[in-house]
Amino acid sequence: MTEPEERAGSTSSFEEEAVPHLDTVYRFALRLSGAPDQAEDLVQETFLRAYKSWGQYTRGTAAKSWLFTICRNEFLRGRERSQRHDEIVTENVGREGPGTNPVNPVWVSVLGVDPEGDFFESIVDERIMGAIDGFPEEYRTAVVLSDLEGLPYADIAELMEVPVGTVKSRLFRGRRQLQKILYDYAVEMGYIAACSGTDE
Amino acid sequence: MSFFNRLRSLFGDAPKDDAGSPAPMIDCEEALSVVHDFLDGELEGVPHDQVKAHFDACQRCYPHLRLEEQYRQAMRCAASEEQAPDGLKVKLMELIAEADA
Repeated sequence: MTEPEERAGSTSSFEEEAVPHLDTVYRFALRLSGAPDQAEDLVQETFLRAYKSWGQYTRGTAAKSWLFTICRNEFLRGRERSQRHDEIVTENVGREGPGTNPVNPVWVSVLGVDPEGDFFESIVDERIMGAIDGFPEEYRTAVVLSDLEGLPYADIAELMEVPVGTVKSRLFRGRRQLQKILYDYAVEMGYIAACSGTDE
Repeated sequence: MSFFNRLRSLFGDAPKDDAGSPAPMIDCEEALSVVHDFLDGELEGVPHDQVKAHFDACQRCYPHLRLEEQYRQAMRCAASEEQAPDGLKVKLMELIAEADA
């Protein structure tokens, strides 16, 4: 096969396997960067790097996870300025983890006033995404990859280069914190009545 | 569940509740502690059927499962609304063509 033919084949397979994940990678980049223009840049860098490394990719394997990994690495390279902010917010995510209190205190409050959880339908999507955007990167990435993209724990662990137990711990804390934020927002907006003893 | 009842369940003689139906095979604390793993399809060390049986039968725990499901549904709906801008794919293909040049 001539070099131009090889290139054409490579571009074609890249279009077939990688480019269809554009929306998904864009969503992930948007959650990581927090701004549409930065997300676009991040997506372009991600796909360009992926294309240049396309020869190392085994066709038919997990292209989406691979693109997420590249996207996150690209993001981490450029995020030094936000490092301090992340460290501060980390303190607010809490110390609890799996095995601490299996009863979610937020749900205890919700069950008293909205047992079906209808308040979730009133919360606008932007508020949900805004709440996620406020998280430190390690929690944000875990929650986005699991709750939004449905990746298995093992894939998230590999992508984030941490043990599965750490992923579970971050998911536990991140979800509880997010649920508390959304509940507080719903109370503030009057979507749900306040329940006494809500604060953890 | 007591040790005795667990033993009985192993031999197919599951304890019955007042209504005569099989009692949940794990307790509330255990069920709630694995609710995320259960919904994520990542259970380890406890059979899916046992966890499901508990949530199906337990009036105290089922609402917690339901709220976790509602939370996940809200997350997925919020995410599905976001799509890459129209021109991004075109830009991307241009970059790839440049990389090949």
